[in-house]
Amino acid sequence: MKRLIATTLLAVILLITPFLGQCAFKLPAPEKIVLKNGITLFYLKNVDYPLISLRMLVRGAGSAFEPGELEGIAGLTAELMQKGTAKMDAEAIAEAVDFMGARFDISAGSESASVVAESLSEHFPRLMEIAADCLLNPSFTEDEFAKERSKRIDNIKAIKDNPGSAVRPYFTKAYFSTHPMGHLASGTESSLKKMTAAAVKDFYKKYYRAERAIAAVVGNIEKAKLLEIFEATLGKWNNPRPAAPLSTLPAFPKPKGKKLILIDKPDATQAYWILGAPGYPLGDKITPQADVMNTLFGGRFTSWLSTELRIKRGLTYGAGSNFQTWSIGGLFVANSYTKNDKIGEMLDIALDLLKKARTEGFSMEELESSRNYLLGQFPQRLETNAGKAGTYTTLAFYNLGFDYYDKYLAKVKAVAAAEAKDAAVKLLPETDFVLVVVGRAADIKKQLEKYGTWTVKKITDPDF
Amino acid sequence: MRKKFFILVLIALICTALLPAAFRREDIKVHKLDNGLKILLYEDHNIPQVALYTFFRVGSRNERPGITGVSHFIEHMMFNGTKKFGPGEFDRKMEFSGGANNAFTGDDMTGYTDWFPPAALEAMIVMEVDRMQGLIFEPKVLESERGVVASERRMSVENNNDSILSENVRATAIMAHPYHWDVIGWMSDILSWKRDDIMAYYRTFYSPNNAILIVVGDFESAKALDLIKKYYSGIPAGPPPPAVTTVEPPQMGPKQVFIRKEAQTPSFNMVYHAPNCQSPDFYPLSILDMVLLNGESSRLYKRLVRDEQLALNVYGGVGETIDPMLFEIYVKPRPGVDLNRLEAVIEEELGKVKKEGITEKEYRKAQNMIRSGFYFGLQSNAGKAGRLGSTEVLYGSFEKLFTQMDNYAAVKREQVQEAAKKYLTENNKTVGKLIPEGGVQ
Repeated sequence: MKRLIATTLLAVILLITPFLGQCAFKLPAPEKIVLKNGITLFYLKNVDYPLISLRMLVRGAGSAFEPGELEGIAGLTAELMQKGTAKMDAEAIAEAVDFMGARFDISAGSESASVVAESLSEHFPRLMEIAADCLLNPSFTEDEFAKERSKRIDNIKAIKDNPGSAVRPYFTKAYFSTHPMGHLASGTESSLKKMTAAAVKDFYKKYYRAERAIAAVVGNIEKAKLLEIFEATLGKWNNPRPAAPLSTLPAFPKPKGKKLILIDKPDATQAYWILGAPGYPLGDKITPQADVMNTLFGGRFTSWLSTELRIKRGLTYGAGSNFQTWSIGGLFVANSYTKNDKIGEMLDIALDLLKKARTEGFSMEELESSRNYLLGQFPQRLETNAGKAGTYTTLAFYNLGFDYYDKYLAKVKAVAAAEAKDAAVKLLPETDFVLVVVGRAADIKKQLEKYGTWTVKKITDPDF
Repeated sequence: MRKKFFILVLIALICTALLPAAFRREDIKVHKLDNGLKILLYEDHNIPQVALYTFFRVGSRNERPGITGVSHFIEHMMFNGTKKFGPGEFDRKMEFSGGANNAFTGDDMTGYTDWFPPAALEAMIVMEVDRMQGLIFEPKVLESERGVVASERRMSVENNNDSILSENVRATAIMAHPYHWDVIGWMSDILSWKRDDIMAYYRTFYSPNNAILIVVGDFESAKALDLIKKYYSGIPAGPPPPAVTTVEPPQMGPKQVFIRKEAQTPSFNMVYHAPNCQSPDFYPLSILDMVLLNGESSRLYKRLVRDEQLALNVYGGVGETIDPMLFEIYVKPRPGVDLNRLEAVIEEELGKVKKEGITEKEYRKAQNMIRSGFYFGLQSNAGKAGRLGSTEVLYGSFEKLFTQMDNYAAVKREQVQEAAKKYLTENNKTVGKLIPEGGVQ
């Protein structure tokens, strides 16, 4: 592979310049249907393939709303919902889904739980029956709870055996500490030990509600048939007693000064790092300027980070940066890795580039390239049924409107060099950031001392 | 017998009916230039984008000791400068016109994958033609890129215990054939490839007669073909690249690999020599891999992850390769698990398949999984271009893509048991175990 492309990167990508003008591409408007129980459903017919995709978000059923001491219970609940209902046990569910060659998954994000269901058109009615059964009647047996919890505890050890996968959860905990947005869907060894099947049931009852669900179906199905299927499945999802309002999340953390964490992994031959600082909330008006800026800074193959660390110096296979966004705020994150004796050199360069972007900004030619790139790559994210369905649910969830991307792309097309520099000044950190390094401390500690005082932990210590 | 026949006919009918109306063999336009370049064109105006894919029939299979990993290295160097376009210019120009790209190297092929707005088609063709034979391998750039690939190996192998083990198991199971080494190559080779060797390898394999050009997406076929003819016709054909003649000798007894290394969790592999993808046995083995290893209802997942709780995950199966490779079973064992017990449980499950075969329901499930995976993969321009190209390289013609599902449907359930008996034998087996040392106690 020439490079790994972060999917988050594609998620930020957008469209069109004068000479690309003929490629204008719009998100087709779906039909909106509100079911009696409050589920909002968006529908678009596509007869090109014998396939149907459903995406659904359930507001509040994500890890940001779980109790701090039970971090990961949203993730565990989502998993266990697929492990048994009043009618079917875990094996029967797996058997039925696999038999159709279908995809079905419930997982927890931060602000919502997410449901994926897709199959050949002929199997979709049966798939929806199973999905609805899991969403409406999960049984949460003690046996399945014990199995899944113990698997999750062991899986944390497997994550820590690979420094490239371990650096992310360590960074999340270092940045957010106990803030709910930093809850790991995987949980931690300590929090998993505190969970019970009863606590899982409570979480489910409190947060899985039809009136908080936003669904989108795109594929080869008539509207009448789809409504008939929904009527018989998710339409039966009740909202018992009025919902307790979702708690207001505390303000997004904005660390002051440098927080430096070194995780010692004595067998690592490469040091992996993530640097993070506050970004902006999803849908914020700075998004187009920030995307044009970050495309140049670390968002694509010829970005500054990739050019200086990979292309010119051969220090690493991959280097990049991106913005992650939620309703209450967001993150700027840069990351890379290199062999142990080069980590100091690499971090110096990365910090210099942040400074250069803030002080010098970008050339007119770079700006044009960034705009063209964002505009040219945008259509791909809407290419498949799943791409469209996922975009509908996200835009509806954050109440951005289905013309959001039209406006966004129009703005991207017009971002000026001064605006990109302003975005760099506002969003790229200088003195306030969190930096986490996973590597062999004996080889790298000395190189890191110049940045300040480091907190050192062993990778074999429990939790992150 | 009658019932089965009926089901087979039914599956065949469903398959035919399911082929997307818009993607049929007769919609693919095929051309061959005098210099041997094969061209496949398929128009799809769903989104304003074009996928331009170039496949070369070269991979780690074509390497030899001392230059392992060089196919992959050339893939990297394809972005690093010709006489016309300096290092990095390919990417800069492409991104400037709204395009993005990637590339991959496998055991059997190397692919270059470009996605861009329709207006950039001519500019992209110009750059692709240029780098097919124009790389200059500037020494300073070459040394820098060597560091990138060394970092890639550190990331993907040396800091990943599962990969360390699978590299060892593969090199133990496969003794003579170049599939012995991984695509990334050995670290000492990466650090010592000579520029002359790299250039000789590039000249041998990067010729139009060893390439396939695939264009899928929003363009007009006649215009695209004119552009392709205009720019590609000037490149001379090369001598046919040397054939790979080494044949892996039969394994005559079980092999084992042990690795002791600092870790918190063990790793486990079990592999058997398997036929290549053009062998009739490939299809029953693919069905077996679905039944044993794919999905939470698969036999090994159920037994190892759910019932006995010995493992966090299982995966693997048989890959599509030009020469015979391996049927692989990868397991991520839970910490502290007795790996001998794990091996015994897998043996027991394989024994059941050999003795009793698979059930009618399992057979139909596998067919459904294969079919739906196939159609989901064809939704995008990238998916179509990728399948057309890899089918041409692996099966000898892209046309086989359109009969692929019929080949699976034609497999009889009993053939799955026969394939298990033939390939999953004690003498054909290599087992690998990574045993944690140190780590948390």
